[in-house]
Amino acid sequence: MSKARARAHDDGGYGLDQLELGIVPAGADDSDASSRAEFFARAVVAGGALVAGGVLVAGFPRLAASAPSAAQDKKILNFALLLEYIEAGFYAEAFAKGKLSGELQEYVSIVRRHEQAHVAFLKSALGKNARKKPTLSFGETTSDPAKFTAAAIALEETIIGAYNGQAANLTKPTLAMAAQIVSVEARHAGWIRAIAGENPAPNATDEPKTATQVQSAVNRTGFVRSS
Amino acid sequence: MSAKKHETHTMSELTLGKLDRDGAIREAVARVSGDTRARFLGKAAVGGAALLEALTAPALAGATASSDVAILNYALTLEYLQAAFYTEAERLGAIRGELKPIPRQLGAVERAHVAAIRAALGQAAVKRPAFDFRGVTEDDTKFLKTAVAFEDLAAAAYKAQAARIKSAALLAAAISIHSVEARHAAWMRFLAGVTPAASAFDQGKPISEVKAIVASTHFVVAHPKMASRKNPTYKG
Repeated sequence: MSKARARAHDDGGYGLDQLELGIVPAGADDSDASSRAEFFARAVVAGGALVAGGVLVAGFPRLAASAPSAAQDKKILNFALLLEYIEAGFYAEAFAKGKLSGELQEYVSIVRRHEQAHVAFLKSALGKNARKKPTLSFGETTSDPAKFTAAAIALEETIIGAYNGQAANLTKPTLAMAAQIVSVEARHAGWIRAIAGENPAPNATDEPKTATQVQSAVNRTGFVRSS
Repeated sequence: MSAKKHETHTMSELTLGKLDRDGAIREAVARVSGDTRARFLGKAAVGGAALLEALTAPALAGATASSDVAILNYALTLEYLQAAFYTEAERLGAIRGELKPIPRQLGAVERAHVAAIRAALGQAAVKRPAFDFRGVTEDDTKFLKTAVAFEDLAAAAYKAQAARIKSAALLAAAISIHSVEARHAAWMRFLAGVTPAASAFDQGKPISEVKAIVASTHFVVAHPKMASRKNPTYKG
C-alpha cells in the first residue's frame, strides 16, 4: 500500500489509476490523530460488549430482498424504529446524567433531539403497527466520556449501514423519507468521530449492512434487555 | 450505454459480496469493456470501493434506464466539481493548519466517486468541464466555506435523486455515496465551528436548485484559463 500511496501523490489527475490512492489511506497516516481514541473506538466497534448481560435481540424481521411493498415497508420501519429507540434512549440517558462536558455535551444535547424526532416520526408513520420500546440498559456508556464516545460511534455506524442496506427494499415514497434520516445519522457519525479525533469519513462509501449484520452489532452492545 | 451486446447479469440481492465473489463480473468486464473498466475493477480493492464496483454491473446488463443514465451524469458533474476543487487545493499546497490534510483526504474520496461513476457510464459519461476556483483553493477560510457548501449540496443532491433511481444496484451505490457526502459535510462544519447536524431531517435539493447554486459560483468555465493568476511559490 505504501507504494501505491507514494505514486498517488505524484499525480493529482483523474485517471483511473487514481483509484488506488482512493480511500484506503484517507487519514491512515494522520499521526496527529488520537491513536488511543481511534484504537478504543475500533475495538468496541469491532465487537467488544459495551455492557455485560444484555439479551440477544429477537424479532428482527427477515428482510429478503423481495419487491418493495407497503407490508415490507412496515417491517423495515419497525426495524429502524428499534434502532432509533436505542439511540434515543442512549442519548437521553447520557444527557440526563450530565457527566459529559465540552464538545461531547454539545453533541449529546443536539443529537438526542434528532433521535427523539426520528422515533416520533417512525411511530407516527407506523401507527398501531409500531413496536414497543424495548427495555434498555447502557451502563457506564452514558456517563464515562470515552465509553460514551465509543458507543455513540458504534450506534451511528450501525444505523447508517442499516438504512443503506434497506434502501432498495423500500417503496419509493418511504425511501425518500428514510433518505432524510440516514444522512443525519451520517452527520452524527462524522461529528462524533471528529470529536474523538478519528477520521470522520474513512471510506468512499458507507456499505449497506444486512439485517443480520445489524442484529449482531446490536447484540454486541448488550444495550437491549428485552425486546 | 454501449451498443455492444453485453452479457446479462441478474442481480437478485443487493449484498455486495454476491456481486463479484468469484470474479466473474471482472472477467466479463475485461472482455466487453477493454482495459479501462477492467483496470478500475482490478484496482478497486480499497476501503469502501467494493460498493463502487456495483456501479459497473448495470452497464454489463446493458439495460440501464435512460433516466438512471441522466441521474448518474448529474452526479458525475457534482463529483467532478468536488474532486477538482480538492485536487487543486492539494496541488497548490496553500491550505495550512488543521485543514492541511483535508484536500488530500477528501480529494481521494471524490476522485474515487468520479472514477466509479465514469466507469459505470462508459461512453455515456459527460466530459469533465473546466474549472476556475477563483482563489478559494488557496485560502484557508474560503476553502473551508466552499467545502461546507459543496458537501451540504452534494448530500442534498443525492438525496433528492434517491427515490428516482430505477436500478436497485445503482440505488445501493448512490445511497452509500450519499451518506459519505453527509459525513464530509459534518466534518467540514465541525472544522468551521458550525453545527455539524443542524436538524433532525435533511432536505433534498432538486436538480434545478442545485444547478442554479453551482452556476452562481462561476467555478465552472467554458474554457480552461490560460495563465495562472498567481506566481508559483518556491517550496524547496
